[in-house]
Amino acid sequence: MSNRVKQRMVAARLLQALPILVLATFIVFCLMQLIPGDVAVTLAGENASMERIEQIREAYGLNQPFLVQYGQWLGHAVRGELGASLLSGEPVAQTIARTFPNTLLIAVYAVLLSVLVGVPLGILAATRSGSPLDSTIMGAASLGVAVPNFWFGMILVLFLALGLQWFPATGFVSPTEDFSGALWYATLPALALCTNGIAEVARQLRGSLVEIQSSQHVRTLHAKGLSPARILWKHGLKNVSVNLLTVIGLLFNKILAATVVVEAVFAIPGIGSSIVNAVLQGDFPVVQGAVLAMVVTVILVNLCTDLACTVLDPRIHA
Amino acid sequence: MNVKEPKQPQHPDHDTLDVGGHAVSRRTFLGVLSGALAAGTLMTPGALWARGAGTGVLRVGANANPSSLDPATGGSGSDHVFLFPIYDTLVTWDFASLKAEPGLAESWEFSDPKTLVLHLRKGVTFHDGAPFNAEAVKTNLDRSRGAEFSNIRSDLGSVDQVTVNGEHTVTLHLKNPDTALPLILSDRAGMMVSPKALQANGNRVDRNPVGTGFMKFGKWNDGSEISVTAFDGYHGGDKPTLAGITFSIITDSATRLRAVMSGQADLAYHLDGRQKPLVEKMPTLHGVVGSTVYCYQLYLNMSRDTLADRRVRQALNYAVDRDAFIRGAMAGSGEAAYMNLPKSHWAYDAQTAELYPHDPDKARALLKEAGYADGVTLDMRGYNDQSSVQMQELLLAQFGRANIKGRFRTGTIADMSAEYFAKKQGDLLLSAWTGRPDPSLSYSLMYNQESYFNAGDKAPPEGFAEALLASRSSDDLATRKEALAKVQRLVMGDALVVPLAFRESIVATNDKVENLHNNLLGKPKFNNVSLKG
Repeated sequence: MSNRVKQRMVAARLLQALPILVLATFIVFCLMQLIPGDVAVTLAGENASMERIEQIREAYGLNQPFLVQYGQWLGHAVRGELGASLLSGEPVAQTIARTFPNTLLIAVYAVLLSVLVGVPLGILAATRSGSPLDSTIMGAASLGVAVPNFWFGMILVLFLALGLQWFPATGFVSPTEDFSGALWYATLPALALCTNGIAEVARQLRGSLVEIQSSQHVRTLHAKGLSPARILWKHGLKNVSVNLLTVIGLLFNKILAATVVVEAVFAIPGIGSSIVNAVLQGDFPVVQGAVLAMVVTVILVNLCTDLACTVLDPRIHA
Repeated sequence: MNVKEPKQPQHPDHDTLDVGGHAVSRRTFLGVLSGALAAGTLMTPGALWARGAGTGVLRVGANANPSSLDPATGGSGSDHVFLFPIYDTLVTWDFASLKAEPGLAESWEFSDPKTLVLHLRKGVTFHDGAPFNAEAVKTNLDRSRGAEFSNIRSDLGSVDQVTVNGEHTVTLHLKNPDTALPLILSDRAGMMVSPKALQANGNRVDRNPVGTGFMKFGKWNDGSEISVTAFDGYHGGDKPTLAGITFSIITDSATRLRAVMSGQADLAYHLDGRQKPLVEKMPTLHGVVGSTVYCYQLYLNMSRDTLADRRVRQALNYAVDRDAFIRGAMAGSGEAAYMNLPKSHWAYDAQTAELYPHDPDKARALLKEAGYADGVTLDMRGYNDQSSVQMQELLLAQFGRANIKGRFRTGTIADMSAEYFAKKQGDLLLSAWTGRPDPSLSYSLMYNQESYFNAGDKAPPEGFAEALLASRSSDDLATRKEALAKVQRLVMGDALVVPLAFRESIVATNDKVENLHNNLLGKPKFNNVSLKG
């Protein structure tokens, strides 16, 4: 694919992303309206009178029709102003800048672990297809898919944090301030998140490799006298790489969503826990801003995956 | 690579390993190891020695993000733990009984029932260098009772005018006698903000607080962390016992306790009753446990058909087995509540406490007398968290034995509170009263006819207003206690509420924390806390 074609593809995908962003934030805004509770009551404090609550509604524009509220938020967001938390006053952009790197680190760490463990396991199972080892790996993978990550997280805390005290049970340090410290804090959450990922990567890779190995062209390669290792590395893995990359892209998005729960278990100040707290308190500017950041990330990851796929297999989009 | 255990027992964060002849913290070692595992790369050596925690910084597991760090604009009862280190209050209280004690006001007197004179401490400065004086007090009090954004205007409702009488004397002229004011000044209304900071920040300091407290503000990351550092100029040179405090906001109580168990925090507060046995069993943990004024109770809407009858309200009080409630719904951690004050409070009245022993037969008899021989059915409201639902189930079982039927409609705290108090829906609400430093404030806020918390807007019994006024008209503690006893007998005699249990404050600490004491308000203060080693 020529560079020009690639550039057009990227531009088209970015343009397609705009309505997705508007739609996603609009749906979230609608959902926020459906949640019972009133942020004005929370803001007014313990002894609030109805008059005080009304004053607050007016001051924050909460008494306006929700379409007007959304329109105002969108107007500001287009200009790059995400507003501030209704409750604490912290600028939303600052909240995102502070919490998103933590979440991203955990998600990337978990994806890397999934790939580093899942790929060898998938290859091993595929090359010994039908053997007890294959059954064991696939059995373990099924278990890995089934295990809830918050439960596994608690088990990890029990043994590795409270028992052996190798890793912290709670908390985080920012990767921008102290990267090795952040990795230390991120290890247990990443381990809790990667079980599903390892299982998924291993199962997908095994399935694709087994299919490739039974194909006619691999039979021809065997007939040509190529060693099994060469066939696997040069031809097998190359052929399944597009599948694998797609799985990894989807896995990242899935793990990004799952961090919401794991952040609660490990008390990590990530974007997931910011969203949960903001939803519970009806703090819609924070919810909107954080969802926007996550949707943009997912769109970019999908774009990067597609671009990488076109590099690995030029027939795509040709 | 030679790995060996540290020679001296240390905090897990500071365990060291010998890596290639260099001392490396275990944390760094594992961080790097795990990083290498993930990325297949090694960290640069410089990063290995990049960390080090300051000694004497107390790490606290806190239960909620504050609503604001400006005492006048915040609205949550959980804010105080963050506010107390930053702001001194004009008056403080005795931890055990909540009796008023000198704070930034060295002394005070009522020159007449409607005039309160405060004599201020000298040589005190705010964190920004501004002097603390009578003008600063006037600025603060006028802002709290007058500013549009202030959430504490009603706290200072009795103040008519504040005048400055010299550098360190302030006079509060009152609309009516109010001897509850000194204790009101031990709460948000008494927290003094630097006038210089107010001027520089548009009269609000929500995110950049400046007080005279022993700690000055460092940073606040929403929902994550708040840090404060020792104020060297505290009260003219009194050295704070800590170098700083870092609050990690961990909303889940189990996670909060785990933070102490695994060494990420030195203490965690607002733990659940269910966690008390764990705190007591763990050899590395210490529990600081004590009663508080935080009272679980049933708010009653007395304008509803059935509850308008006093006998039905009394039946509810007889129907409740408070000890069983504490055992079943609070894991045995709490004090039975027969009025709105716990036993250790200075204004506790033993006579009132005997009014409603558990007696389902008496409850049924009262209902029969009120014309409900077949029992009553109530429309009850409550919250939807696990602990509240457990309490509701237990109460329904107890009510059932007294022929009181019905079901709880549940929702979030904000939603149900608004539904019951503002929209006046439902017969009763299972909730809590978080308590106020002065009991007269609690009683007026809950039972005065126009009060927000009196959902039925029912006029209190005859003599209530006079007794409450009497409790605020004298600054003699014995006289006040007598007047408040009368208030309590009127409230409970008329069964305006069904008090259930006082929550225990459960704080877990590690071995290093010293001099932490429970206070009856249940909001930890760290003024004298120090760390060993």
